[in-house]
Amino acid sequence: MNEVFVNMGQIGVLRNSGVLVTVGLGSCVGVSLYDPSTKVGALAHVFLAKSRENTDRETIPGKYADTAIPALIDMAVKAGANRNRFQAKIAGGAHLFDNFKSDMPPVGQKNVEAVIEQLNKYKIPITGKDVFGKRGRKMSLYVDTGIVVVTTIGQESIQI
Amino acid sequence: MKDKLDFLSELGNIGASYATTALSKMLHDAKLKLTVPQSRLLSFNEAANYIPDPEAVVVCVYMRMVEGFEANIAFILPLNSAVALAEYLTSEKSDHLSELGLSALLEVGNIMLSSYLTALSMLSGAKLTPTVPGIAVDMNGAIWESILADAGITDFVTVLETHFSTDNMELSGNLFFIPDHDLYDFLSQKVSGFLLEENT
Repeated sequence: MNEVFVNMGQIGVLRNSGVLVTVGLGSCVGVSLYDPSTKVGALAHVFLAKSRENTDRETIPGKYADTAIPALIDMAVKAGANRNRFQAKIAGGAHLFDNFKSDMPPVGQKNVEAVIEQLNKYKIPITGKDVFGKRGRKMSLYVDTGIVVVTTIGQESIQI
Repeated sequence: MKDKLDFLSELGNIGASYATTALSKMLHDAKLKLTVPQSRLLSFNEAANYIPDPEAVVVCVYMRMVEGFEANIAFILPLNSAVALAEYLTSEKSDHLSELGLSALLEVGNIMLSSYLTALSMLSGAKLTPTVPGIAVDMNGAIWESILADAGITDFVTVLETHFSTDNMELSGNLFFIPDHDLYDFLSQKVSGFLLEENT
């Protein structure tokens, strides 16, 4: 099967068949969009919640939640998806090192909240999620079915 | 730029020497081999591709410097090395990591990273305020990106990496020092000021 790896900050799109994979989601969040009618799937590997002026928000839109979700939508629509049929699934936002006591919420939590806020803004329903906790994840979107499989070390894979 | 990276490599070399000397003592003076430290300025995309096998399970002891000098320091071992080291430290034979093994690794990591930081602090005169150490057993990629995200890296990141190994047992690992990228100037001023004082 055609496997496309979506690295940190990147966005991948496939149609009809193949699998989009992100390996090693720690505090990052994997966000998938899927249109079941056209079998278009797209996956972003979001690194941080908010982009800043004068950084790489234009060149690497997949890096930040606020630029990744619009870019993800655009790329999926260009590949033939209908935006009214999008189903979103999200995984990640873990907090691997829980020794840090801080007044600030951990990066992973901020990432998940920012992704959900963006999906709500574009009125995309979230049909599956596996977020937070202390474990890193691998997330795979099977484009022929829209099934998302999430794997963590030492545990059974789950479908979301 | 090359001068800057050479300078940072030298700092990394000294820090890593202190750290591995501390480890060697805990291993009853086992000989440890250090590679020439690598100091690299990576773009975000290069940093994303830096870890060769993101799915491999590793053990990582990690601290973040807070207040004034912000940076991250991590000690990363492949799982088999972590198991071998834990077995040596606890005299407990096991093919996986027990709670006892993990706390022994956390303590060794703590001592090594603290030695590294002591060396940097002595060289630079900078006050380093680390958090308590944390330990994780997880996918290499998940650990790597969590550390980068804690550093809040934007366009570029400086990575100081030293690899070490020993023939006495199946043990190899990496030490990473990742300063927030604008800290080069801060550090170099401190160090050159210090060296000037020494020379006069």
